[in-house]
Amino acid sequence: MGSDESYNFVFKVVLIGESGVGKSNLLSRFTKNEFSHESRTTIGVEFSTRSVQMDNYTIKAQIWDTAGLERYRAITSAYYRGAVGALLVYDISKHLTYESVDRWLKELFDHADPHIVVMLVGNKRDLDTLRTVPTEEGKDFAEKRGILFMETSALDSTNVENAFNEVLKAIHKKVASREVTRGSICAVTIGSPIGLKGEAQGERRSCCKSS
Amino acid sequence: MARIENGRQSLDTMSIRTIGSSRMDDENSFGSDSEIDGFTSDRQTDKYGFIGGAQQHTEESAQDLHPQVLRQREVKWLDMLSHWDKWMIKRFNKVRLRCQKGIPPALRGRAWLYLSGGKVKKEQNQGKFQELDSQPGDPKWVDVIEKDLHRQFPFHEMFVSRGGHGQQDLFRVLKAYTLYRPEEGYCQAQAPIAAVLLMHMPAEDAFWGLVQICEKYLPGYYSPGLEAIQLDGEILFALLRRVSPLAFRHLEKHKIDPILYMTEWFMCAFSRTLPWASVLRVWDMFLCDGVKIILRVGLVLLKCMLGTREKLKACQGQYETMELLRAIEPRYMQEGFMVREILEVPVTARDVEKENHTQLKRWKKSRGELNFKSPPRMHGARIIMLSEPLRRQDLQQNPTIVLEVPPPKLKKEEKQSSMKKRISIKKSQPVVEIPNPYSLLSDVPPPPSDPPAPPPVSNETPETVPETVPETVPETVPETETDPSHQQQAPPTDLPCAKESPLKRSTQSLSSTEQDTYL
Repeated sequence: MGSDESYNFVFKVVLIGESGVGKSNLLSRFTKNEFSHESRTTIGVEFSTRSVQMDNYTIKAQIWDTAGLERYRAITSAYYRGAVGALLVYDISKHLTYESVDRWLKELFDHADPHIVVMLVGNKRDLDTLRTVPTEEGKDFAEKRGILFMETSALDSTNVENAFNEVLKAIHKKVASREVTRGSICAVTIGSPIGLKGEAQGERRSCCKSS
Repeated sequence: MARIENGRQSLDTMSIRTIGSSRMDDENSFGSDSEIDGFTSDRQTDKYGFIGGAQQHTEESAQDLHPQVLRQREVKWLDMLSHWDKWMIKRFNKVRLRCQKGIPPALRGRAWLYLSGGKVKKEQNQGKFQELDSQPGDPKWVDVIEKDLHRQFPFHEMFVSRGGHGQQDLFRVLKAYTLYRPEEGYCQAQAPIAAVLLMHMPAEDAFWGLVQICEKYLPGYYSPGLEAIQLDGEILFALLRRVSPLAFRHLEKHKIDPILYMTEWFMCAFSRTLPWASVLRVWDMFLCDGVKIILRVGLVLLKCMLGTREKLKACQGQYETMELLRAIEPRYMQEGFMVREILEVPVTARDVEKENHTQLKRWKKSRGELNFKSPPRMHGARIIMLSEPLRRQDLQQNPTIVLEVPPPKLKKEEKQSSMKKRISIKKSQPVVEIPNPYSLLSDVPPPPSDPPAPPPVSNETPETVPETVPETVPETVPETETDPSHQQQAPPTDLPCAKESPLKRSTQSLSSTEQDTYL
């Protein structure tokens, strides 16, 4: 965040899912390579960024994290604004957290951009011995819903990079194919022939450079 | 995660940076239940109980009061607590002033319980907490609460041990609330509120304190729908226009919803944002004067971080602005600065209610009726007290600490003292040896040679001790046999008007856990 690296895109990605599934640790693992058993309950909004180098472009991923508890959904519309990707997280060792995935998907499509890229993430893979959601079940569900799928462990880092990278790549594909045209104010290109509409583009230029 | 917590990079001692930690044993993360045993030299706590400086306690921010001043304030507070209704009804301005100066730590828990009206609630509902405590609780809430127990102030010695007494009490308080108000259930932000209370008082008291905060001070904050917090976000934003037009316009321009920055601030009453010394001062004032204090703190932070053109130049976008608000400069959160600023903000309870009315109208227009109608908000301790009938016995202190002190003669002395204060601060006074007023029997008495008998403090001049006098009260008490029933026989001779008599032994047993006040 402090570096002056240049990047071509800024993609906002949100982490959603039940309380305690590991959203905050996925955030910290991906953006800071850190994990804590003692992280605090998320209240309000947390966020962090990381730049990812793809084949011939750089993406600045802006990852947002919020409280999972049901009643916090009342305040999430501001949170979804401008998001182009979402990781819907559940805990493979707690079946209840998987059962609410449908509700979360509905929530997502009620508030977020219809073109948003979604990945279903079964976290805490390190707890395989306590597993209550078979991998195949999650995979099948994701396929049926037309969303991506991966199992991760924020604790031991398994697949965390892969999950985020896959989502970012998928977003980029959509952006490049002009599927995303409006509303996603954070999907901005700088100096690229793909001129995405963004009234704030001029403003964005200095914004991105200054951070 | 080495993130910014309470104004400072917290040393996350449990951070795992690399792969492979199958050795990690959840149950034993910080040692056993006996928290003292689990501590090694690198796990020193600060004076508030935080390990590793997690909640910011630097030298500059520490506003250490001279012990003399502290003792005097304690006497005043004890007097107020002994005649609480009189003080609250007839001399509330004085109570408020003393809250603004900061409640002496030794009496903070008790004062908070009285200010919030929790004391009265507790006395009028004897046995209620025990009843709630004994029930198993709705499994849905129990499950969520349990997930949160190790996620509140995990670097505070009280909450660091999984399954330790601190976490247990936190569970008891939160579960009891879900049984007390099943239609409300549990909201995650209640946990830090309860935790702060538990750091100062036992579970039952903390429970009633939580009830009062959730129902009188911040009604609807934790209710399903979170409508009240959204409304207060709009109120904050509207008030900002007056306090810092620059900051207001910036937030408006970048479409930064208040809910994106004020949620944690308000729902946790800044307990997760400010350095601990400041948290305590804010809570002292908040419990006295209500939500306007919370709003003022928010306004101060917004004004400080976004109130000048130079600062705004550095944040050109939504994300940058939010990052800035998440990393408030320590100097703006420092205790002295923060308190001074809070007192300067021109926002009254009336302003809050007016804006509340305006924002509610706007809400109804665009979003319809409120789903969860909360009871009206109470703007402070006095109003809370007046709103409910109480009996004399409801204010009875337990245990009672009685000092044989005749009521301080105020008017004449205060005038004298303020005059003397002015004079004494100009002079540079010699270092004076002040005898430890609470010397144990086996303490070595102070050397008789040194300064003459009466120390600077006398009957008529409270708080005239110049600020340059270093702390001379001996900090290390020589090893003594701890006699659990020892009674102090050397009376405090330097306190105003203290008589030469032994302290009265309380009629309540101090060793019983029932009377455990965690002072």
